[in-house]
Amino acid sequence: MVDTSGIQRRGVLKGMAAVGAASLTGIGPAVAATPTIKIGLVMPKTGPLAFFTEHIPFVLDQVKATYGGKITSGGKTYSYEIVVRDSQSNPNRAAEVTQDLILNEGVNLVATFATPETVNPVADQCELNGVPCISNDAPLEPYFFGRHGDPKKGFEWTYHFFFSGEELVKALLPYWKKLGTNGTVGGLWPNDGDGIAQSKGFPPAIEGAGFKVVDPGRFDMPASNYNSQIGAFKAADCEIISGVLPPPEFTTFWNGCAQQGYQPKSVYVGKALEFPATITPFGDRANGLTTEVWWSPTSPFSSSMTGQTSMQLAEAYEKASGRQWSQPLGFRHSLFEVVFDVLKRAKNVTDPASVREALKTTNLKTIVGTVDFATGPLPNCSLTPLVIGQWSKGKKYPYDIVVVDNTNFPSIPVGGEPFVIPYS
Amino acid sequence: MGELANQIVQGVLVGGLYAMYAMGLSLSVGVMRFVNIAHGDLIVLFSFLILALIHATGIGALPATLMTLPIAFVGGYFLQRFLLQRVLGQGVLPIILVTFGLSIIIQNGLLGTFGADTRRVSGGGFETATLRIGGGINIGVLPLTIFIVAILMVLALDWLLYRTRLGARIRAVSDDPATANLVGLPSARVYATAMGIVGVTIAISAGFMSIWTNFDPTAGPSRLLIAFEAVVLGGLGSLWGTLVGGIILGVAQALGAQIDVSWQLLAGHIVFLVIFLARPEGLFPKY
Repeated sequence: MVDTSGIQRRGVLKGMAAVGAASLTGIGPAVAATPTIKIGLVMPKTGPLAFFTEHIPFVLDQVKATYGGKITSGGKTYSYEIVVRDSQSNPNRAAEVTQDLILNEGVNLVATFATPETVNPVADQCELNGVPCISNDAPLEPYFFGRHGDPKKGFEWTYHFFFSGEELVKALLPYWKKLGTNGTVGGLWPNDGDGIAQSKGFPPAIEGAGFKVVDPGRFDMPASNYNSQIGAFKAADCEIISGVLPPPEFTTFWNGCAQQGYQPKSVYVGKALEFPATITPFGDRANGLTTEVWWSPTSPFSSSMTGQTSMQLAEAYEKASGRQWSQPLGFRHSLFEVVFDVLKRAKNVTDPASVREALKTTNLKTIVGTVDFATGPLPNCSLTPLVIGQWSKGKKYPYDIVVVDNTNFPSIPVGGEPFVIPYS
Repeated sequence: MGELANQIVQGVLVGGLYAMYAMGLSLSVGVMRFVNIAHGDLIVLFSFLILALIHATGIGALPATLMTLPIAFVGGYFLQRFLLQRVLGQGVLPIILVTFGLSIIIQNGLLGTFGADTRRVSGGGFETATLRIGGGINIGVLPLTIFIVAILMVLALDWLLYRTRLGARIRAVSDDPATANLVGLPSARVYATAMGIVGVTIAISAGFMSIWTNFDPTAGPSRLLIAFEAVVLGGLGSLWGTLVGGIILGVAQALGAQIDVSWQLLAGHIVFLVIFLARPEGLFPKY
């Protein structure tokens, strides 16, 4: 019953899209023989997650240089257009603009990235409207379970590649063991997609490895201060902090730690500590902060689009933008590697089901590792390699990420030994 | 035990910031008898102004804040004289609608000008300085400064309202505008001056807020809620009451968070409701 109505609705939507396309060509002066392929791109251009989008202009330039506005698929050459929409870092807004892309722009495929707050609502809209969606840069569990995915069934239209929370905690544990702390971990997990997922998944894994977890509870952001959390961590003598916060929130927390004289030995905060732009203003207080490393210039992978090695990609970005490389660069690049690989392999690129088939059978060696949705660990997902790094004084830039633990992926070289934060 | 004491100390200091937010509102509610719905948005507006000044001229946060004080006074004066004064005395609703509209205009104006990004002003190391006072308690220099400035603001405003000729005029117009006009007081200008003073308190809180916490164009209403609760808790018209109200909220939030961090905001609101039910007139009402 539900299924039938779904098909009918999809049929209606297709009809609407066809009407939209027809009216568009009617207005246009020149009627092209082949339709333009439209790629929708939803991203948080503004708002607290805006940090995630700084590489997009560079990567879009690379795409332009590689394809020049034309792609060949199924023996035909199509021109393509990338239609960008701003989610304003707001999940509701992300859903709205996706609907607009699907219903008004009639996009053939939607690409998106940057935290479950962006990716989940966008993917949900695509699933609902039967449009293929490819995404990355949100851990697999909040992506899959945050959208109430059933591991037995999976999703029909939406595919995703990134590291997983399980993989993250597996990468952190050997690193923490090497540090020589009292083994008490303070959890800084807010009331959002990532925070809730980690607060459920991390404590059993961390405690299973012989550590103790202190979790003061979920909190809403923006938080005016972190006094209570810091007080609780201080009272329990937590020497390790593990959390996930957007960059401005971490600044509030880290300044609060200094105000309260709290000096943990190791601080890992996902989302916040990946970016030089957040790290550099801390000056000496950036030294030794921990980040997970999903891509770095020392990664042993290269691009299927430009043939660049990771190091070459980072250098090209630094030269073009004048800014320091950061991890999302690799994933922005790989997102378009997959998008164009899928469009090229689709038997009939104008047919959503055909694009979906191509997406489903992706097996591509990208700059972030192999993307293959058949490998799991969850349906519709592909896991990419993850190691642990720390910020330390760099040669080219004030602070740079050094990979300090590669227990799970020995093929990614380490650049130094793990160290505790040297408060000076 | 030491942890509890620490949380109370931190809560009191946060209360200083809340009281600072509320100071201007306390004046407009208590003396001029109207609720300025745009109060929080005005604080955010001045935070952005300070941010823009710092970016444009490269000066520090303190001189930038000082530079906005005269702008805030003049802005407050003209806001009252040419907009708010026109709807005063026409019942409660028009002034609420006007300031509500002002709030929407400010939020969208900021969104259009600065985008939705979350901002913060750097205090140049000031925001991370700390004092160790023993017993496992550290006091941040910035929260302590804010607390002291909040007390100084109460002292200054109290002196201004109750020890100066201007204060007497403001209170006279506040008590009975018709009689004040009869004895020759220019009530419109007196109110405008009072709003100018409110503007100055707004700029001072904006300066401190921009260093201590993040702000974005839509952060205003949450500031208004806290400020309003502090004013009502303290009792209308009492500036010391507003300070106490702010501290009660700060401590309630800190203690609520001891149960579970998710209780932090809720605990503040619950304490507000309980005190409000027991003493609807507030703790130290002037009227």
